[in-house]
Amino acid sequence: MYNSKMQLFDFNKTINLLDKYKIHYPKSKIAKTLEQAKKFAKEIRFPVVLKIISKDIVHKSDFGGVKANIKDEDELVSAYEGIVKSVKKKLPRAKIEGILVQKMEQGTEVIIGMKNDPQFGPVLMFGLGGIFVEVLKDISFRVAPINVHEAEEMVNEIKGSKILKGARGEKPVKISALVDLLMKVSKLSIENKKIVELDLNPVFVDEKSAKVVDVRIMVE
Amino acid sequence: MKAVKNLDAIFNPKSIAVIGASRDINSVGYGILKNIVRGCVFESEHCRPFKGRVYAVNPNATEILKIASYPKITDITDDVDLAVIAVPAKIVPAVMKDCVNKGVKAIIVISAGFAELGKEGKKLQDDIKEIAEKAKIPLMGPNCLGIIRPSASINASFAPSTPPEGNIAFISQSGAIADSIIDWAIEHMFGFSTVVSYGNKAMLDATDFLEWLAKDEETKAIAIYMEGIDDGKRFMEVAEKVSKIKPIVVLKAGRTEKGTKAISSHTGSLAGSYEVYKAAFKQTNVILADTIEDLFDISKALANQPACKDGNIAIVTNGGGCGVLAADYCAELGLNVVELKKSTISKLDKTGKMHPAYSRSNPLDIVGDALPDRYYAAIDTLLNENYISGLIVIQTLQTMTNPEEDANDIIELSKKYPGKPIICAYMGGRFSKRGRYILESKGIPDFNDIKKAAKAMWALVERGRILKK
Repeated sequence: MYNSKMQLFDFNKTINLLDKYKIHYPKSKIAKTLEQAKKFAKEIRFPVVLKIISKDIVHKSDFGGVKANIKDEDELVSAYEGIVKSVKKKLPRAKIEGILVQKMEQGTEVIIGMKNDPQFGPVLMFGLGGIFVEVLKDISFRVAPINVHEAEEMVNEIKGSKILKGARGEKPVKISALVDLLMKVSKLSIENKKIVELDLNPVFVDEKSAKVVDVRIMVE
Repeated sequence: MKAVKNLDAIFNPKSIAVIGASRDINSVGYGILKNIVRGCVFESEHCRPFKGRVYAVNPNATEILKIASYPKITDITDDVDLAVIAVPAKIVPAVMKDCVNKGVKAIIVISAGFAELGKEGKKLQDDIKEIAEKAKIPLMGPNCLGIIRPSASINASFAPSTPPEGNIAFISQSGAIADSIIDWAIEHMFGFSTVVSYGNKAMLDATDFLEWLAKDEETKAIAIYMEGIDDGKRFMEVAEKVSKIKPIVVLKAGRTEKGTKAISSHTGSLAGSYEVYKAAFKQTNVILADTIEDLFDISKALANQPACKDGNIAIVTNGGGCGVLAADYCAELGLNVVELKKSTISKLDKTGKMHPAYSRSNPLDIVGDALPDRYYAAIDTLLNENYISGLIVIQTLQTMTNPEEDANDIIELSKKYPGKPIICAYMGGRFSKRGRYILESKGIPDFNDIKKAAKAMWALVERGRILKK
């Protein structure tokens, strides 16, 4: 049910929490100005992603708050200005904390989530990202805490697991990295009861690693 | 708060008092007393009067159903183990206080008019819960049907009748479903060790009954109808332990979610409550049933047949069509309809009992004119093979078919191969019924439907997988 006390957890605190559980988050910095954004992008190296950071915005892309695959400074300028303009137009009262400059990652998109259930406590979710999770609801659940075997089951259970294992000549992704991530989210969820919902969405996984690209934590 | 968990006085009382016992044959209080004293309201061969002491409590009567009636429970001089309360909701707290003073060991509140009515009822329910908790007396209900234990001759409920004695325990959150199942069970000779309908679960929830039934020697499998559980974590803890000892099968109602939800995250909107329950069941080795029939079909197989050590299944049939259907259903459920080895075929040939046109493959079609000796040879040969772990036997009724003798042979062979499950599908009705009765009376589950037989075998394979963990 809708819970009015639920709110988006502060971005920096979120990143610190991930860090505490050794959940890797890509190199990123919050720019307060366009000049800063240019500087950070050079440091991090193109291609980069820009994302709006605001406590008032849960679904960033719904308000034009995300621009991906920015290859050079010209693109950065127009992306930066585009985000600010779009958000100001669509959500004039949202307080903008800054624009996140993040290294562009690639891989197969998956989602790892958690919901604190009133009867069972933290429940973990796993699925392939994008259309698979939204339209096909090809997802698996386990009540936390989970063991390695259960984490493996979560990955193997979805119909799309064949894609992860290398369908149509693609290289299989590193399943153990996903299992490791699920275990970390399980531990984090059990030890931080104030978290009501958590989304690692998307997580990009390839044959070498799994990288959390966006995170959203809702607290009470 | 959690200390009150000795349910012995609910399951095995030596004496019962019915508070609110009535002379009005249309009242709940009369029905309960009659169920205890006579063993049932609707009479059948399964009704057994309670063997312990029974008391009626009703200030306006001196005797009901030839049982002495007392104004208050405290007027009874002997000990009372179990108090069954069926008085109007608002006087339940006062009656419960009397029960506490009397020193009863357990209380069942049948009366409705509590949390199911809303805020005020919830308050009343909290009051009676507090009385029970303070006194450390287990409280079942309110708004429940009660408990039935056929083998112990206890029917402390207002169910219409008593089901046959058997080895399956049924824990039902719904009283009406339990009522209907009892009527159905009598018609279909389906036996129960216990039927519990626990209502509003003010104190005792499905978990508590599950915990007690794990130790009950009569109970070989536990079937649960569940709408929701308050303490999911505790259910998981208990179910994980109990499922190592005996199978648990659950039918969960409330699978679809109506109404809108504020969507704050993907997981929040996708983790519907049924998905969470399914995950919890999977993690604690609880087998999920799809329908009421499925719940009891699966329970029947699990209670009476050994677990199947792997998914390697063979099918024997005297009708080709049924064999093909069985193979389809088995494959859809992930069972492996094994390929028969050449050595097995030659063993079958050597029995000298096979028809020249028999299928020589799995499903093993032994042809329509199969007499009992051909069935015997086929079943014996297949079960004797190490690579075959379970067998589905299909019989269609043809002019020369002998359902009774086939049934007796199957029973004999099931004793010869005690580690391998057999599920039967006697297809037909009136003339195969006699064979079906023989099979079921000896614990061979029979289904008049091939899909059900396949599902039952799936459950036994699932059980085997669980036990290997």
